[in-house]
Amino acid sequence: MQAKKLYGFAFTTIFLLTANSLSAQEVSGLDIMKLVDDLQRQSNDSSFNKMQLSSCKFGTKDRRIICADKPRVKALESVVKSYGPNLEDTKNITITLEPASERGIGMLSFNYDDPAKENETWLYLSALGRVKRIATGDSDEDTEPASLFGSEFSTEDTETGKISDYTYRILEDTLVAGRSVWKIEAIPGKERSKKTRYSRQIHYIDKERYVALRSELYDRYNKEVKRLIASRVELVNGNWLARSLTMMNLITNRLSNMAFVEINTGLDIDDDFLTQRTLTDVAFREAELDKLRQQVR
Amino acid sequence: MLFITSCLAVTSIFAQDEPKVLESDAFFEFNTSFHPLPDQESHSTADLILDDPFFGAFEDFPADFQENDSGRARWLSGFTVKLTQQILFQTKTHDVNLRVPRGPLITIPRAADVETNRVAANVRYQYAFAPGWLLQASGFARVFLHDDYEFEALDKGVDLEFRLNEFFIQRSFDKHSVKLGNQTVVWGEVDGNSVLDVINVTEFRDFSIIDIEDARLNQPMLVWDYFGDRFGEQSRLSTFVTLYPEYNPPIVRGSPFFVEPAFNITDYKRTASLEFEGGMRWSRSFEGSDIALMAAYLIENQLSYSNPAELGQDALSTNNAFSLVGFSANRALGNVLLNLDVAYSRGILINNLNIPGVAAAEDAISTRNQLGTSVGVEYAINNEQNIAFSVQVAKPLTGALQASTKENLTGAWLMRYSNSLMNGDLALALGMQGDINGEFTILQASADQTLNDRWSMGLNLILLDGVEASPISLFAGDIRIGFNLTLSF
Repeated sequence: MQAKKLYGFAFTTIFLLTANSLSAQEVSGLDIMKLVDDLQRQSNDSSFNKMQLSSCKFGTKDRRIICADKPRVKALESVVKSYGPNLEDTKNITITLEPASERGIGMLSFNYDDPAKENETWLYLSALGRVKRIATGDSDEDTEPASLFGSEFSTEDTETGKISDYTYRILEDTLVAGRSVWKIEAIPGKERSKKTRYSRQIHYIDKERYVALRSELYDRYNKEVKRLIASRVELVNGNWLARSLTMMNLITNRLSNMAFVEINTGLDIDDDFLTQRTLTDVAFREAELDKLRQQVR
Repeated sequence: MLFITSCLAVTSIFAQDEPKVLESDAFFEFNTSFHPLPDQESHSTADLILDDPFFGAFEDFPADFQENDSGRARWLSGFTVKLTQQILFQTKTHDVNLRVPRGPLITIPRAADVETNRVAANVRYQYAFAPGWLLQASGFARVFLHDDYEFEALDKGVDLEFRLNEFFIQRSFDKHSVKLGNQTVVWGEVDGNSVLDVINVTEFRDFSIIDIEDARLNQPMLVWDYFGDRFGEQSRLSTFVTLYPEYNPPIVRGSPFFVEPAFNITDYKRTASLEFEGGMRWSRSFEGSDIALMAAYLIENQLSYSNPAELGQDALSTNNAFSLVGFSANRALGNVLLNLDVAYSRGILINNLNIPGVAAAEDAISTRNQLGTSVGVEYAINNEQNIAFSVQVAKPLTGALQASTKENLTGAWLMRYSNSLMNGDLALALGMQGDINGEFTILQASADQTLNDRWSMGLNLILLDGVEASPISLFAGDIRIGFNLTLSF
């Protein structure tokens, strides 16, 4: 496992070094998006994160996007680890800390890179008294997959992998907020079209840092239905990472911001932690979380 | 309400509002008060391209969950408290027709009235006091206010009720977890309508609770879970045993469900002989599916009452032990989740819900074997809407009561629809349930609004309808409207 991680890191480093000297015509959209996905996964691999998820109704005034009401805030802890032959699958567990009324709600997700394998999600609600598998969607373009804790982020929006399910085209070199970016169009392939809500995605990829600064998500009528804006791009443990992601739903005029308050990567995470046991066995969960907290001190 | 909710659902399913057209250069207001975290290597100020209104998240993340070495703060943070004021009205003045088994049709006038008016404090406590150890408890206190049926039953006196519900200590080590104390064990995949969800005792005291998830009571148990791979990858072996089986509490005096018995009933008198319940469940997850096999020796949660041997004596309460073998499975197919529960019960009472003085004595002691199944379908319409439908059917395999096909098959259906709006701040729900013979239907619609991080409020509408001999015939035609206000911290 460690050797595979090193191999992945070495590949990414070499690609980054060479890609920086290439023009947009010489690298393909697929290469760029693959690298973005790899870096995102590396940033999250074996990580223990604290997040704040804020949602509000938004409006625009003088081109400024503003919350129209007081945001509702959730505090979350998550643990993520990569798996698979090329570490392209991820397992992710997220637990709600706040608000008090939702404390203890947990979600376990398995994201597979293999297009043939459907991602899986389980939820634990204390009121239900058991772990429940969630029908996560991804069945046709009319419907939207499950929401992440009631936010505007869906499980599809946050998943990694399945890069080969899309056809990529670099539309142009342009600027976003003063930074040089590739504007890349992603069109889902035949099989992916059956599973995604989006018929087209436009990503603005920072040429130096390989981070999506903005993404526009279009429905089958080619109307932009969601927009993702990234900010607080920081070098965290050697990888550039957007620590603040804001997803705007242009249908409901609501937005959700996911702020990565703490990111601790490269931790030694027991595989048993990323199982359904963690959702129900609180004594086990707290003991394992204590071990992770010890590692990041 | 049904019409309104249906319209809401249909509108959301088939129509999509025009999306807001956002200028490509729309931006969040830049905030110069941005400060990077000191412990992270950061180049943020120079490289910031956009900032957002949520920069405060990095400074205001709940202090309780930041690293904290204070043991006192940790044990205090384990409390979750909900204070709820709840009021429920029966709003319709009308007559109901009730047919007593083997008796005449009786007409009973019902007047609109306040049914419940109470304040409840629900407290939950969870504290991992040492690595691998957990103490968990929950309980409630209720104050019955003016016009509440319990207030009226106590000759208009304010009453206070306490109950400790969960109370267990847990030790987890290696692949094992052991829990000792008051807890619940839930089996089955079909939510709210499973033939396997029979382990926990329940209390349906009034119409403020009509979902089994809210009605479960805890009982003292020893539960051992094994999470190792000895019985398959992603598997779990769970065993429980209780040496002090609890029973569904009798209906409290004054409750709308309360019927004055012909004879005085008493609490169950435990004997010197060992009474216990125990069971084992093995479950395993596969890609897109979870399955489980289980077997248990159980005592029916509902006591059985027989007429007293002589006039003036108390009714006799007896319990009945039975065995259960079951299987459950689910299968996720995109937006659809299919659920299946199957239960074979050996030696259950034919009439295990009998009321003293009403049920025939011979029914109270006759047992049968039964095959039951629950089938459920859940469909995630979209990010916000979910609809679930399930049917539970039981068929007796042996026993005396097999007079007709209609009597052979018993069961219930349940439909639940939910729509979560405004990122969950407004939750609309519609529930319908009834029996498979069409004898009664209960419809419940609710709207719950989260006002802020602490306050929420909810509205409830409950409609009941049923034929003269149905279990809810006493409430047929009733319309209930409820309101609750909750403070959580």
